[in-house]
Amino acid sequence: MPMNQTNPLSVEQLAGLARRRGRNYWKGLEELAQTPEFQARLADEFPASASQWSGGFSRRRFLQVMGASLALGGLTGCVKSPQEKIVPYVQQPELLTPGKPLYYSTAFVLGGFARGIVVEQHEGRPTKIEGNPDHPASLGHTDAITQASILGLYDPDRSKVFSCEGDVTTWSRFAYVMANEMQAKRNQKGKGLVLLTETVTSPTLAAQIRSLLAELPLAAWHQFDAVGRDNVRQGAKLAFGAQRNVLYDFSKATVIVSLDSNFLIDDPGSVRYAKDFFGARRVKPDAPTPHTMNRLYVAEGTPSTTGSMADCRLPISGPDIAKLATVLAGHLGLDGGASRFGDLDLKATLEMTGNMDATHWLDAAARDLKAAGSGGLVLVGESQPPEVHALAHAINAQLKSAAAMTSDPIEAEPVVGIDSLRDLVGKMHSGDVDMLVIFGGNPGYAAPSDLDFAGAMGKVRLRIRVGLYEDETSQLCHWQVPQSHPLEAWSDTRAYDGTVTIVQPLIAPLYNSKSDHEILSVLAGGPEKGGHEIVRTYWNGQHSGDFETWWRTALEKGLIADSALPTSPAATISANVFRAMTQTTLARQVATLTLCFRPDPCVWDGQFANNGWLQELPKPLTKLTWDNAAMISPTLAGKLGVWNNDLVAITAAGKTVNLPVWVQPGQPSDTVTVHLGYGRRHTGSVGTGTGVDVYPLRSSSNPWYTRIEKIEKIDGTYTLAATHTHQTMADRSLPGVPADITPEVVKESGAHETAEKELSNRNLIRTATLDQFNADPNSAIRSMDEKGVSLSLYPGDPNNVYDKNYKWAMSIDLTSCMGCNACVVACQSENNIPVVGKEQVLAQREMHWIRIDTYYTGELDAPETYHQPVPCMHCENAPCEVVCPVAATVHDNEGINNMVYNRCVGTRYCQNNCPYKVRRFNFFNFADARPSIKMQKNPNVTVRSRGVMEKCTYCIQRITSTRLEIEKTQVRLEAAGAPHNEVVKQMQDMLDSLQTACQQACPAEAIVFGNINTATQPMAGTKSHVLLLQNSPLNYGILTDLNTKPRTTYMARLRNPPPLGDATTAPEKPA
Amino acid sequence: MGQIFHSSINTLAKASIFGGVFLLGAIGWVGAQVQSSPWLTNQDVVVDQPVPFSHEHHVKGLGLDCRYCHTSVEDSSFAGIPPTKTCMTCHSKIWTDAPVLEPVRESWRTQLPMEWTRVHNLPDFVYFDHSIHVNKGVGCTTCHGQVAEMPLMFQNATLQMEWCLNCHRDPAEFVRPRADVFVADTNYPVQNTTPELLAKGHQLVELYHIPTDGRLTNCYTCHR
Repeated sequence: MPMNQTNPLSVEQLAGLARRRGRNYWKGLEELAQTPEFQARLADEFPASASQWSGGFSRRRFLQVMGASLALGGLTGCVKSPQEKIVPYVQQPELLTPGKPLYYSTAFVLGGFARGIVVEQHEGRPTKIEGNPDHPASLGHTDAITQASILGLYDPDRSKVFSCEGDVTTWSRFAYVMANEMQAKRNQKGKGLVLLTETVTSPTLAAQIRSLLAELPLAAWHQFDAVGRDNVRQGAKLAFGAQRNVLYDFSKATVIVSLDSNFLIDDPGSVRYAKDFFGARRVKPDAPTPHTMNRLYVAEGTPSTTGSMADCRLPISGPDIAKLATVLAGHLGLDGGASRFGDLDLKATLEMTGNMDATHWLDAAARDLKAAGSGGLVLVGESQPPEVHALAHAINAQLKSAAAMTSDPIEAEPVVGIDSLRDLVGKMHSGDVDMLVIFGGNPGYAAPSDLDFAGAMGKVRLRIRVGLYEDETSQLCHWQVPQSHPLEAWSDTRAYDGTVTIVQPLIAPLYNSKSDHEILSVLAGGPEKGGHEIVRTYWNGQHSGDFETWWRTALEKGLIADSALPTSPAATISANVFRAMTQTTLARQVATLTLCFRPDPCVWDGQFANNGWLQELPKPLTKLTWDNAAMISPTLAGKLGVWNNDLVAITAAGKTVNLPVWVQPGQPSDTVTVHLGYGRRHTGSVGTGTGVDVYPLRSSSNPWYTRIEKIEKIDGTYTLAATHTHQTMADRSLPGVPADITPEVVKESGAHETAEKELSNRNLIRTATLDQFNADPNSAIRSMDEKGVSLSLYPGDPNNVYDKNYKWAMSIDLTSCMGCNACVVACQSENNIPVVGKEQVLAQREMHWIRIDTYYTGELDAPETYHQPVPCMHCENAPCEVVCPVAATVHDNEGINNMVYNRCVGTRYCQNNCPYKVRRFNFFNFADARPSIKMQKNPNVTVRSRGVMEKCTYCIQRITSTRLEIEKTQVRLEAAGAPHNEVVKQMQDMLDSLQTACQQACPAEAIVFGNINTATQPMAGTKSHVLLLQNSPLNYGILTDLNTKPRTTYMARLRNPPPLGDATTAPEKPA
Repeated sequence: MGQIFHSSINTLAKASIFGGVFLLGAIGWVGAQVQSSPWLTNQDVVVDQPVPFSHEHHVKGLGLDCRYCHTSVEDSSFAGIPPTKTCMTCHSKIWTDAPVLEPVRESWRTQLPMEWTRVHNLPDFVYFDHSIHVNKGVGCTTCHGQVAEMPLMFQNATLQMEWCLNCHRDPAEFVRPRADVFVADTNYPVQNTTPELLAKGHQLVELYHIPTDGRLTNCYTCHR
């Protein structure tokens, strides 16, 4: 049952509360306001469930029904198990051991750029994606979208058949028609033939296209991405005078200034960047004191994941960031005595932003950058115009930044996508396009609204769509050609640094689909070739010597050795940079609101809209699922008189779109942010109709920021399913908080303070600044309430079983967690966790075993943000266990809280008694049993049915499998007479390689798991990584005052803010 | 007021109380018998197979090692059912026109797999691993019985949890030297019953690092 969102308090009152709460943490504005809905959720994990009880039941009737249910329920055990078939291979494939997975390296491609992956395959079924440890863009880790892409492979809604104007046809018919069409085109040297692709980095595909264009010189090739890198490319060209690829080495950066760049999420190198960034940021427990950290400055037009990690964050209107960059360059002496910027008055420019916080931010950033020298780095997001990018390159060159590098372009043919599309649409309108082949992308949905792509399509005689889904673009085309998923086709691709990966298929195409290479080979004429032959032939031509060995090595490693492009420091800067900036209109458009577009963190530009895992993934910061919304600041919400779920009509670029409102702390007050990728009209049963399409508001001239012509509240509401206040950990009985809290009550009484005290006493989030930590290592956890932490009836029990076995434990570093959700999807993929749908999310029934709680503290419009992943704590004194009437949840000798599905009868007592609220109940038969989806399931994890409780198992299947391998190795080596030290060394290595799914995915390496019992390490006395972390002064457990003794603990968040106010203070010397 | 009940009722009351206990006990006993009966457990039940494959002939008669067909038993949770190709290594040379082998030849011709009926069928929430048992000295015949005397395969044990726990609680009774794991000789003891064998079993439990502190009876050992 959806709960209505109400806000009994005014924005001023909320802001006041935020200030009064001081250093306390709130998950959402509802918590700040202590709305009745929030209190209901606090008191009861499923407050809506009570209303589902139809009522009218007497106690006697209840007992009758329950008694009968119990008696009859027992009978369900009386079934004979059905006779099953067992089907062996006819010829067992080489290398395959039935029951054991195989792993293949390949790559996942987003926006043309590769993320190196290793895919787990069980008897021919790919089931799980991991990062490729050898691949520079991955180093073993992945992001949420890459993790979820495996579900896309099995999507039953994928395009399955060749069709022409709605009639089902065949590949051979398509090939025949194409051969005829292409013959005609050949006679005209390709006149009127156009290929439209997304950004192409694939060397083979580029070679195929180029060879086709060489044969047909009048044909054309256009590239367009809805979420591309146009500004990055143009900025680099402006700065360096030629097309250059820009990349960064965050391990060398000590002061990082991000201007609207969400580099931890949105960049082709994000996964690698996150590892390097947090690697340089984390305080090493054994490092010499004083400890050092890098420092991150972020100025951004909308709250982002990267911004939430900032030490000093400036919310600012996006278009004003150009001014900020100009003044920053001036502070750093780039203006060459102001002459380069002409008569631009830097001070006045800054004042034009109307943002007084900007002064402090700029002073501190400039001072730190100067001090950092080659450790300084300024980077700019795609949403900023090329001039700002160029200026940042100039600053980096001035600093001689060791972290900023350039290389030759990665793209086969770097173009400005939006210009390329504009050019194409122009040609289409003028009737110059006769035959258009669209590979991937979805311009029918995502093309800028001012280009009238759909209208132009009508003027093309023959339109061919090669796509994974029958989507909006397919509707505009004659031919629909099913495109193979990257996991079922041969290809190749390049990563952010140019490293080439051969993409190898994990499975034969599930449906009758073809890859881009195969379709291009048909267009090129000649005999039909398979993808394998095409890719292999291309590389054979690039290579001399022993090709077979080279090829196999490339496939095995998941990359071609030394294929990364050589880098050079980003040093030579064209003088145009400064001229360009003065020519930019820096004048502020007074009293306007800005509309900001961002790719959705889950469904991206819309291509993942039919992926249930991504749809249900609570988005970073907003925690919205299944929808997009207009993100507005609390201040603007107050001005417009709207609150969450209210509808507003936004007019921009001459179009009007109605959107529900989401009030987001940290949002600049003059900016409304909307996310792309929703409101899909044609995709599949999951994605069609979710959210609102905001592409109509997006024009080709202003793809990221545009002026809002009008915004107004309209009648009606729309229920958004946000999980930000779900599973709130806090005291269940808040003494002294009246249920009917009103603004007057808040103002007059001390009730709120009482409630705050109760909540804040839990100390879920602990933090310190680097200075505080260096002065007193215990400063972060000083506030820890130690009462009762080691209460036991058996102090120092010599027979404690935990001392004689592995003791599994997990440490989660809050300094490194950016809330990117990679762990959540990795867990979902590994543990067969179902998708429940929006209605069930509204009833708080989402099933994720690990959730990321996001807390705010401080000012409403510019809060500090903290992320806290919460899996099962595996308490040694687990409250869930004592209340289970059937012992379905019990401890094992290694301290893991076992959840035994076959014993569970679904009383949900354990869920009621879990203070961390990490238990999930199958209210319905959530498991998706459609045949193709079933193939994705991990065979080593039970698919849970209705009425069963479940929760994080510490990936028990991985623990068991590793343990068995260790034990087998031990007895085998000992039987073979291997020396003891060699045996234990090998065993220790195997144990150290054990990772949980969340840990393996985490790009920031925030999660560490392992055995904390030194006595039971194979090499006795070895201190595991997690033990070292748990011995750190930053280590703390949550709700330990309940004497739960959690095995999962946290490392307090360290922040490194610049010294306040006093600009003369020498900046701390960064690492 | 006279007595409501005749004194003979006393006897009836005693009998019915005793009888009630007896009756409940009887119901329980019957339930337990049904629960562990072959009707439910499939113990000792021979199931129809597309080809009447004789373990007796291949193991005892020809002396094939278990691993000739069940190739992955030492490395994987799944022991492996031989692919058609394994059958055809011999049966492309001998008994090439035997009618009972027609399904095998058909599978080879059509390249479509044989469909055998599963004999040992554990519930889906049980994650049994052959390799760890074999590597730690649990012989094939310990669980599968005297396969060398089974012309047609059947399930030798109940495969109920109680049966598993017998060994998981006290492995010494069932462990044999690793070298003898695949011995299919019917004279080889499947259980360490004599004091000497039991003493040897205890030594092996130690030698093979088999945990005896109760870890083997943790739920997550088999269920997850």
